[in-house]
Amino acid sequence: MPKQLYLIKEGEISLKGLNRGLFEKRLKNNIKDKLRPYHSTTQRQKGRIYLFVDEDCPRERIEHALATTFGIVGWAEALMCEKDTETIKAKARCLLEKVDTSAMRTFKVVCRREDKSFPVHSYDMACILAELVHEVHPQLVVDLKKPDLVLHLEVRNNAFLYTSDRSGVKGLPVGTAGRGLLLLSGGIDSPVAAYEMAKRGLKLDCLYFHAYPYTSDEALEKVKTLAATIAPYLNGTRLFVVPFTEGQLNIKEKAMPDATTLMFRASMMKLASSVVRTEGMQCIVTGEALSQVASQTLAAMSFTDSMAEALVLRPLVGMDKEEIIAIARRIGTYETSILPYEDCCVIFSPKHPITNPDKAEMTEHYATLGMESFIESALQETKIYSYDANGEATGVWDFSTHLERDQH
Amino acid sequence: MQDFHYFDNAATTMISDRALEAYESCCRLHMANPSASYAPGRESKAFLNDCRSRMAKVLGVQADQLFFTSGASESIAIVMESLLWAKSPGKVLISALEHEAVSSFIPLLKEKGWTVEVLPAKGGFISPETLEAKLTKDVRLVAVMAVSNVLGTVQDIDGLVSVTRRKEAEFGRPILFFSDCVQAFGKAELRLSDWALDAASFSAHKIHGPRGVGLLYLKKGQIQSLSHAGGQEKGVRGGTENLPAIAAFTVAAEELAQRDDEEIRRLNDIVRTGLEGTKYGILTPREGSTPYILTIAGPLPSEVAMRMLQDRGFLLSSGSACSNNERGKAEAIFRASGFAKAAGGALRISFSHDNTPEEAQLLVEALKEIG
Repeated sequence: MPKQLYLIKEGEISLKGLNRGLFEKRLKNNIKDKLRPYHSTTQRQKGRIYLFVDEDCPRERIEHALATTFGIVGWAEALMCEKDTETIKAKARCLLEKVDTSAMRTFKVVCRREDKSFPVHSYDMACILAELVHEVHPQLVVDLKKPDLVLHLEVRNNAFLYTSDRSGVKGLPVGTAGRGLLLLSGGIDSPVAAYEMAKRGLKLDCLYFHAYPYTSDEALEKVKTLAATIAPYLNGTRLFVVPFTEGQLNIKEKAMPDATTLMFRASMMKLASSVVRTEGMQCIVTGEALSQVASQTLAAMSFTDSMAEALVLRPLVGMDKEEIIAIARRIGTYETSILPYEDCCVIFSPKHPITNPDKAEMTEHYATLGMESFIESALQETKIYSYDANGEATGVWDFSTHLERDQH
Repeated sequence: MQDFHYFDNAATTMISDRALEAYESCCRLHMANPSASYAPGRESKAFLNDCRSRMAKVLGVQADQLFFTSGASESIAIVMESLLWAKSPGKVLISALEHEAVSSFIPLLKEKGWTVEVLPAKGGFISPETLEAKLTKDVRLVAVMAVSNVLGTVQDIDGLVSVTRRKEAEFGRPILFFSDCVQAFGKAELRLSDWALDAASFSAHKIHGPRGVGLLYLKKGQIQSLSHAGGQEKGVRGGTENLPAIAAFTVAAEELAQRDDEEIRRLNDIVRTGLEGTKYGILTPREGSTPYILTIAGPLPSEVAMRMLQDRGFLLSSGSACSNNERGKAEAIFRASGFAKAAGGALRISFSHDNTPEEAQLLVEALKEIG
């Protein structure tokens, strides 16, 4: 079967030392995961991956896969041919004839001769191809600084030709930095936090606290949509839905009114820590930004942090709301996040939440609430929804089976 | 739906058997376009006019004062948009109780140079005195709904129109009095010909008729609408007439006469009495309100209470929203009526003849259980 060819540029991976092979292998597998059930193969060559995909795989699917995979700096649809000047020219002509240059004025040819046995030097080859460009698109003139069209030739084991070079999401392949648990709320921030951590190679699952009937089923649906939307960036994810109504009511009943949010946050950290332990993960990720709300002041975060039994990462801590929104828009979560179904009912939100809690006092207060049993039963009732690397829902499981496995 | 106890009849009602039969038979018997000049078309036209006459009889008005529309929202739009023809904009008085179908015109009117004043509705009522104080020489239109969809309070349309007519005579300039009668139709006294109002709107699906059909009453039988389209309904509302829906609407309207308000009053009483001494407050005053709508306020955010009631098999409507961005629609009406504090926990129970006393009692129990 004929193949579609894409050239992929690795970024930071190419700087890695002895572990480089692991990173490249992960990147390759992450891409292949997204293209399934279509068959694909890869070839690695010095900072480049050549991806061959079955002809019947829709182009949009390939482009979406490449645009959402961390570890890719840039990519382009390419043509491959024999290392022979005339064949290269013929292929280049095919490629150039497909390009709409009506809005272009300038061009440039970039040649890389990795195979030094190829007789024509890069500069000479560039001149040959420049003549060809001029022949096919006579209105184009050379501009080496800001060209509208760039024709690339790379001579390796074969010759590769490509024109448009699309920018990737960069970062490191997901799965190369360990596993973590994201506290997903339904707001704007947490999906962005997931994106930022996945960018550094972290494999993430998500955790949502559902307080039906105090929060609506629409709110849960919204969170599922968010999990599905970020799933391609996370190379697939699982959403843990924790029914925490009883726990919230217990907090409302027993906690000091102004401390209810903090006590809820503390319970979330405790419960998330349990999941992290059971699932063999290494960290908790939140979308908190310093001083955004009362529970995100330095003192409040210091307290909630102390309640977690795992490393807590807050990738947005120093970011401005505008910056966060810009990323949310880019990754397609913003429109869902702003739907009017909120993740916390007004009856659980204190009018004057504490902004400068005393850690010792709060820790002591938390101990009086007896949250352990509520956390335990919430974990027993937790459901896991899974999403594949294309954001498709693939099934629902009971977390209790994981808990049993953990105990054995 | 059979699994639910439905108490949201102010939102929409189940179509009646006879109305549904009328719909179906009209589809089969009068399929021709009433504008067509051949015999079946003329028959459709005759049938349309027959419906109009029967509807006129139900409402106690002349047939040529009635225009079928696609619903109350369109009837309202025809009246509000007619203001845009005015050479020089004046003032409009709109009651604080109005449905969005009316109040959503406020920004447009303002943009076109009109002054819009909102009539306060203390306790859910617009008083003729308040209106009188606001009626200045530049007022061109007064819009007051006959029965509040949020609170069920019945407005003194007769008194309000009288004040308007008196001022009109004093100023020597006409003032259009428009009343949205959607929740009044079949639920409160409706005396269009006595009241001397200029325009009124009605909807079929609130009285066990079908969706997508409504009525506009025009005292003078004419208004300058924005588009005549194909000239149907004397150019007031162009577009091919929805004949099957009109037939069903007419039957549903005729059926209203057989309905006994006492039954509804009993249901209303069951809930009112049942909630005495509980955490629920009753917002709809017993005097001066339709028995069909009973708005209460409980300790829980209305959205949460609605979900809890739904889980127990009861469907009703929240007076306002607890934690979503849609808040404000009904909340503004509660605020204007002096019920700002209760708005967050407001629930609207709206009855129909499909409800039974047993169901009402069960609703009381469910409300007590969650509150």
